[in-house]
Amino acid sequence: MNATTHSLPATQVPAAGGDSPRPHPGRRLALAAVGLVALATLPFWAGDDYHLHLAALIATFWILVAGLNLVVGYTGLLSLGHVALLAIGAYAFAILAGTHGWPPFVALAAAGVIGAGCGFVLGLPSLRLPGFYFAMATLAFSMIVGEFLLAQDTLTGGGAGLPVPAFGAPFDSLRGFYWLVTGLAVAVTWLTWNVTRLMWGKAMVALRDSEVAAASTGVPAFGIKLTVYTFSGATAAIGGALFGSLQSYITPDTFHFELGMFFFICIVIGGRGAILGPLVGTIVLTALPEVVAPLAKLGQFFYGALLLAVVLLIPEGMGSLIGVLREKLHPSRNVKQVVAPDLARLAAALRQEPQA
Amino acid sequence: MLTVLVTGLAMGALYAAAALAYNVMYSTSKVLSVTTGHIFMLSGVAAAFLIGELKMHWSIGLLGALAVSLVFGLLTEIVAIRRVLARSDEHLWLLSTLALATIVQQAVGLWWGTEPKPFPRLIAQDFTAGPWDQKYWLPIAAVVLITVALELFYRRTLFGKIFIAVSEDPFAARARGIATDRVRAASYAIAGLIGGVAGFAAAQLTYAYFALGLSLTLNGFIALAVGGLGSNSGALVGGVLLGLLTSVATYYFGGAYQQTIAVGLLMAFLLLKPEGLFGNKKARLV
Repeated sequence: MNATTHSLPATQVPAAGGDSPRPHPGRRLALAAVGLVALATLPFWAGDDYHLHLAALIATFWILVAGLNLVVGYTGLLSLGHVALLAIGAYAFAILAGTHGWPPFVALAAAGVIGAGCGFVLGLPSLRLPGFYFAMATLAFSMIVGEFLLAQDTLTGGGAGLPVPAFGAPFDSLRGFYWLVTGLAVAVTWLTWNVTRLMWGKAMVALRDSEVAAASTGVPAFGIKLTVYTFSGATAAIGGALFGSLQSYITPDTFHFELGMFFFICIVIGGRGAILGPLVGTIVLTALPEVVAPLAKLGQFFYGALLLAVVLLIPEGMGSLIGVLREKLHPSRNVKQVVAPDLARLAAALRQEPQA
Repeated sequence: MLTVLVTGLAMGALYAAAALAYNVMYSTSKVLSVTTGHIFMLSGVAAAFLIGELKMHWSIGLLGALAVSLVFGLLTEIVAIRRVLARSDEHLWLLSTLALATIVQQAVGLWWGTEPKPFPRLIAQDFTAGPWDQKYWLPIAAVVLITVALELFYRRTLFGKIFIAVSEDPFAARARGIATDRVRAASYAIAGLIGGVAGFAAAQLTYAYFALGLSLTLNGFIALAVGGLGSNSGALVGGVLLGLLTSVATYYFGGAYQQTIAVGLLMAFLLLKPEGLFGNKKARLV
């Protein structure tokens, strides 16, 4: 699972495009390697356990956001139901590993499968619906899951919630858990990045930009949407299982609707149709309220205001802002081709005209 | 059983009002705003604050609630819709209205508290009233009033006819010299008024509660999808149908799966009759 071995040949233009300029492939390879080393050694130079906990939280959120990014950022489907898929993953893990005593990794895989199944079942009817209808169907789904969690108290503990078991031996410490989630996060990033730069990604972007045009050129619209949604269901549930294990106790209140909003903002703020942008968005938005105390008090209000500001001011996301800044600082030189009239030849041609 | 039916009718009236508000906004802007339910919530909370906390007369409370929801309706148009429609990116209005809805909901939550607070009674308590209590017939009366007023407005006044012209064909209306932007803003103000009246009338039933907006946004939309987008009679029928269904289902199966039943209705309609009961099938232009 090493992202560096899969960098692009120099001539190929990455599909993850946008119009922001990309660094040279060699430099990108070095950057990715440095990033990976930094990630892997974080437990040794991070200030304290709290920062490490925060880093692990970011990684678990990113596992969900990476999958959701394919849905929202690339395919352009506004799914408001992913917080429910997160809850499903967390509860599935808590019930299987905790109540039934399954080995944690089997339970994690099972949670992923259940999440994928839920994504599939939810997507099957609702992905046929256009924009707002789809958003409302997924919003309704998240409310149904909330009701279900409260009502089925023999299974989910109702409003009181459930304890979530930790992972086994090497991963039971915070440091071990951090490596586990970060490894998974890198793996998911690599997966989504691979998807987006191949034909799949292009098909998704085509669907986002014009479904009719994409379908008329032979893109199997419904099949692609359903596959992407199922995949995002799996990543959301895996993220949820890890999130639950990190929190060690979950209640239905943990998975409030505004948490879903938060995932949205991570993607929108970073920029639709890119991977790095939402990643930076997730890191900054998870860390910001923890570092700046007054923002934590405002909580969801802050996220709502941020989303509104981004949608109104820079709908293409922060990524486009970087592109604009780069253009301001280093204007790309317009290659001028001076077309000088060759008067002598023209005159010669004119002179020959009557004879021809 | 009578109480169950009357509760269902009253809740249905509230859903129908939300669906009507959707319709008014949709007709001029082709936008389904997520803030629809929050207009109702704001009206209830504002009135509860004025009457309950500041001990004002209920008529002042009503005026205050109407003013707040009208301003919020206008604000939705100015802040979340105008710029986004000008840029004509297809889905962005959903995000901008969602953001505005979250801001308002959380602001009310921070200021007013997150617990549902009871709404003061408008008429002196009468414990023998039972199902004829004011909290049931007030929302029903309000919706009847709103529907009649809307119909009269659309059919009898010049301004209402301008609305219809804009909703039929905004380009043609513009070509005839109608300021479509101003009509759109006015339609959001009218939706605010609808939300103000209905939110005030139903607040004894729903309580003044900060999270009411989101569930009303969803249920109003379900009523609209069942009845048919763009049809006012469809909105009424869909709202009443939804209210009765959830109320009766709650009576028989308990309240735990109220939303699930409502969503089941939505899904059934979207799959079997996507244009709704009263909607007309439109061929989509490609």
